[in-house]
Amino acid sequence: MSAGPVASSRPAIPFAPEDDVPIRYMERTRAYYQALGFAPYRWAHFTDAPFTPLAVPLARARVALITTAAPFQPEAGDQGPRAPYNAGAKFYQVYSAPVDGKLDLRISHVGYDRANTVPEDLDAYFPLTRMQEVVASGRIGGLTPRFHGAPTNRSHRVTMETDAPELLRRCREDRADAVVLVPS
Amino acid sequence: MGCARDIVEHCGIPRFVFTDFPLGNPTGRPFDPECQRHIVSMGLDLLERATAPRTTVQSPYVWSPDTAWKDKVLTKAQPFLDDEAKEKWLDRKAAYKELRSTGRA
Repeated sequence: MSAGPVASSRPAIPFAPEDDVPIRYMERTRAYYQALGFAPYRWAHFTDAPFTPLAVPLARARVALITTAAPFQPEAGDQGPRAPYNAGAKFYQVYSAPVDGKLDLRISHVGYDRANTVPEDLDAYFPLTRMQEVVASGRIGGLTPRFHGAPTNRSHRVTMETDAPELLRRCREDRADAVVLVPS
Repeated sequence: MGCARDIVEHCGIPRFVFTDFPLGNPTGRPFDPECQRHIVSMGLDLLERATAPRTTVQSPYVWSPDTAWKDKVLTKAQPFLDDEAKEKWLDRKAAYKELRSTGRA
């Protein structure tokens, strides 16, 4: 007697566990905000996405880096690798800094996964050393002299009307052929 | 390069290297230059070879042998803010709402 459909046999190559899928952050965040009594957050959503093929060979391309990490601000409270979420360390305007300068970039101002990771290695969220290696190897032409910081505010309007155009302007000013965006 | 596949693809971007790591590690495992090099290299491959928008590739790395870490993210067991931080946040929100409703913000 059969109680319903059953798999006829085990697959020759075992399947991955059913729950081994990318986390559905939107769903979980929605539930979280709802439990706190807030209106659901609306994430940016477009059915159309831009695409421009690289116009020069990669080995000649100048690449710009854009990060959401923030420069360390001594007066802005705990920004250490184990700091709790620190909205006081946010920045509200696009910034730029030389790629060959001394860097101290932190991410205490964003909601990274504090339960599972400790941001003690800059190259895990801002791959400047790795990109410099790629330049040295000749795979890309070079980096632009500056990288840029994108504010992480919850206003779509400010992001789209102020910050994004300003980032684009700076990348063009630096004659970037391509941009690598790294949200932390 | 990023770790939140659903959010990035919901927005829609030209090219995306997805790594199934906890948020905060978009370009590789901390202190693992080999892994970081590979992920950056996958991004450059996409720059050169992608032919259409919304091209996603997934790097082959797994954070840990099992998926238990995923249960700790934005759940009751591990909320985004701890209770004390949540209280403060809610207080500030309420104060802001009050300001808005009286036209002072």
